[in-house]
Amino acid sequence: MKSKLLFALLLSTTSLAAFAGRAEDQQVKFRQSAYSFAAWNCAKIKKQVVEQPETYNKEQVIAAANAVAAVANSGLGALYGAGTDQATGWKKSRLKPEFFDKQEEAKKVALAFIKESNELAKVAATGDVAAIKAQFGKVGETCKNCHDGFRVRD
Amino acid sequence: MTVSVQVWDLPLRLFHWLLAAAVAGAIITGEIGGGLMDWHGRIGVLILGLLVFRVIWGFAGTPHARFGSFIPTPAKIAAYRKGQWQGHGHNPFGALAVFALLGILAALVGLGLFANDDIAFHGPLFELVDKSASDSLTGWHARIFNILAVLIGLHLAAIVFYVRVKKQNLVIPMLTGRKIVPKDQPVQAARLSVLRSVAVLAIAVAAAWTVGSGVLLPHPPPAAVAPAAATPSW
Repeated sequence: MKSKLLFALLLSTTSLAAFAGRAEDQQVKFRQSAYSFAAWNCAKIKKQVVEQPETYNKEQVIAAANAVAAVANSGLGALYGAGTDQATGWKKSRLKPEFFDKQEEAKKVALAFIKESNELAKVAATGDVAAIKAQFGKVGETCKNCHDGFRVRD
Repeated sequence: MTVSVQVWDLPLRLFHWLLAAAVAGAIITGEIGGGLMDWHGRIGVLILGLLVFRVIWGFAGTPHARFGSFIPTPAKIAAYRKGQWQGHGHNPFGALAVFALLGILAALVGLGLFANDDIAFHGPLFELVDKSASDSLTGWHARIFNILAVLIGLHLAAIVFYVRVKKQNLVIPMLTGRKIVPKDQPVQAARLSVLRSVAVLAIAVAAAWTVGSGVLLPHPPPAAVAPAAATPSW
């Protein structure tokens, strides 16, 4: 009886663990999802503000900019735990191992992303398309700075 | 006795300086990224047009512009090293640089057409490949840029070397088209055909437009659409 219970307990915990995945993998999955969601919103802004300004829809651009800012402000740093450079989310992480040795620099690019995204949300609310376009470019530069510094090239 | 001879025709000089400016622009916009990536893409298409022009001009231009006149054969290189090479156009080492630069630029432009920056930019032919293929082409675009950087460094260093050591200024002929040479050396007559220049230019513009405008894509962007109407308000 006792061994049966133990077996059931063991089975349920291992299957739960398999479902949840390793903690590192889970973090990578969340952060890949976060950036994908931000990318979807950035693509909408790009289309309506840069590529086809005739399709500009103020509410949609505000919503998209707020979503990007929300991602930036969500505390993404918590998803960069030790070992996550070797973990696999939706696909293998491309985080460079030296990320963990350059915490000061990482903090700088992360704060820049937050700052420029917040500014983008503010500018989007004004409906000034030229200003949104310029600020959107600045957000893109912060994305690039992190990619150049901390992401392995394909 | 020396005499001034025409070495570089006007279209070739325009090509050279436009290319130099375009490559500088592409490097700056590519390094900064963000909103400048759209300009990086446009400059890339301009470089494509310039390369198409140069390749055709390599067969249709005035004698010193033609590839056939400066193919760096081992015999020519050996002669040049012994100081026996005689010519007014690209010397064999300059010719190597020309082919290397054109080749690497063609590769960079070719890869860039399918590239994406994983932020909000993609090259004009991105839609013809899937995202993971584009990502890997983008990786190669970035990697082989290092080769271009080395070649540009060598190109500039060679100019300094020729001025300082060989007492030859290569920049002035590329500006004026003319070079001072000993009078006893044979000179090829070079007549520029305006009609031919315009025709080659037209082909180059057409090639760049075809690639850059999106007509090669399976679904060209419709002129006027109202996707907002199809998007639910939530």
